[in-house]
Amino acid sequence: MNSLAAIPYNTLVVAAAVAVVGFASGVVGCFGVLRRRALAGDAAAHATLAGVVAAFVVTGRRDLPTLLAGAFVAAVASLGCLVLIRRFTRTRDDAATALVLSVSFGIGIVLLSGLSARGISGAGGLEQFLLGHTAALTATDAITLAVVSAMVVLVVWAGLKEATLVSFDPAFAAATGWPVAVIDYALVALGAAMVGVGLPAAGAVLVTALVVIPPVAARQWTDRVPTMLILAGVIGLVAAVGGVAASAAVPRLATGPTIVLVAAGLFAVSFFCAPERGWFARRRGA
Amino acid sequence: MPDSGASACPAVEFHDVTVAYGRRPVLWNIDLVIEAPGLFGILGPNGAGKSTLLKAALGLVPLVGGRVALFGRPLAEVRSRIGYVPQRETVDWDFPVNVMDVVLMGTYARLGWWRRPGAAERERARAALDRVGLADLAGRQIGRLSGGQQQRVFLARALAQDAELYFLDEPLAGVDVRSQERIFRVLDDLRREGRLVVVVHHDLRTAADWFDGVALVDMRLVAAGPTAAVLTPENLRRTYAGHIDVLDELGRAVERGGRTA
Repeated sequence: MNSLAAIPYNTLVVAAAVAVVGFASGVVGCFGVLRRRALAGDAAAHATLAGVVAAFVVTGRRDLPTLLAGAFVAAVASLGCLVLIRRFTRTRDDAATALVLSVSFGIGIVLLSGLSARGISGAGGLEQFLLGHTAALTATDAITLAVVSAMVVLVVWAGLKEATLVSFDPAFAAATGWPVAVIDYALVALGAAMVGVGLPAAGAVLVTALVVIPPVAARQWTDRVPTMLILAGVIGLVAAVGGVAASAAVPRLATGPTIVLVAAGLFAVSFFCAPERGWFARRRGA
Repeated sequence: MPDSGASACPAVEFHDVTVAYGRRPVLWNIDLVIEAPGLFGILGPNGAGKSTLLKAALGLVPLVGGRVALFGRPLAEVRSRIGYVPQRETVDWDFPVNVMDVVLMGTYARLGWWRRPGAAERERARAALDRVGLADLAGRQIGRLSGGQQQRVFLARALAQDAELYFLDEPLAGVDVRSQERIFRVLDDLRREGRLVVVVHHDLRTAADWFDGVALVDMRLVAAGPTAAVLTPENLRRTYAGHIDVLDELGRAVERGGRTA
């Protein structure tokens, strides 16, 4: 960052990396949406903030891999709480999700303001995980995010047959000998990993949008899972790049909200214009 | 053609099986032996645990007590010889898969991890679709099928499994007459090929016509054996006691049962 020429390079690398992150979020999100777990994912996303701050407090380090490991642990822990509440209490699903979401997010905010109130050095910058701020990413960090995202996509693609079977008909999958719980947990873990990786781009509050909106938009255009994955990936990619571009142009603009707005725009187009499932097509058909 | 019947082990054995959901028992001390080949019905009132009995055989619900043996062996050793048709309402029919995709799922167990279905699997799926009369709907999204067609897709998926023993959970619930006839023709063929087909069924009126053997279940096993011997007024009264709504059906079923006997 000490020469002017380095800045465009960094921006370029970050943009390319966030594009990969956006693509992977869309792909992984498909199974979350198909399994009707969007809200649980949102709770996990909000929990990541507490994970990021806790990772900093515990290790005293603020490098991205450490913070994102904290985010991943918090996401998994919040989903674990959700499972426990469902199993051992009579709380309804939606109430349990709201409970985990608000409590875990509250913990994150309290930890964060506690740090800033004491003026702890190095804590500055953590609030960027709230709404996302890709301009703060270094090229190395961005490449790390891209590599993890690419690996997540490869795993999903390799297990596409198994993931589709378990998502569509878990009882048949179990009856024919597939370890349904293992495949299910793997999908949840991949989702949690993606929520963590998407954090620097979209922030804890909005990262779910990156995982949920693209699949919902993609579903409008196709009736096949593989096509849906690719379309959701492309929509996520466009949204992520849009967010980075806006954030690069407007210095203090957070990326998360911009990403969500671009994704929402693409969803609106899909909602109205898709053939067969789109609003116009259905109006004409009716 | 399955020839393992020569091993003299019954295809399905329940030994003192008890199943509970939470603390609520659903099935008590079920002892039931079903021999291949044949078409065997599991009958009983709503909430009698009929579906649970199938799920117990398939290892989908934990047993509180007792054990199940299929072809004389534990389930895990013989899974590839068993086909399953779950209840239609258990899946999301808006899921982005077409008819062919669903039928191909019947070939996944044999493919194993990571391998994708190839030409041989597509051929098998197409043959199965042909058998249930849906060959020309292979590319259609499954939500755009009638209830009867959806049920036939599930049957085709089970046929693609090429099993020796089939478990079907309410395959005729909410199904049009055409689909019903087609489904029963296929099940009848399976029996002729020497396989055993176990069907959870809700309609007493048709039971006497279709099944070689039946079991009457109402949390406990009330009676089991050849259809005509089991569907007696006394057995039906014991199974459906307290279910006033089916008394009318009962009368007709008994009448038919007597006639076929």
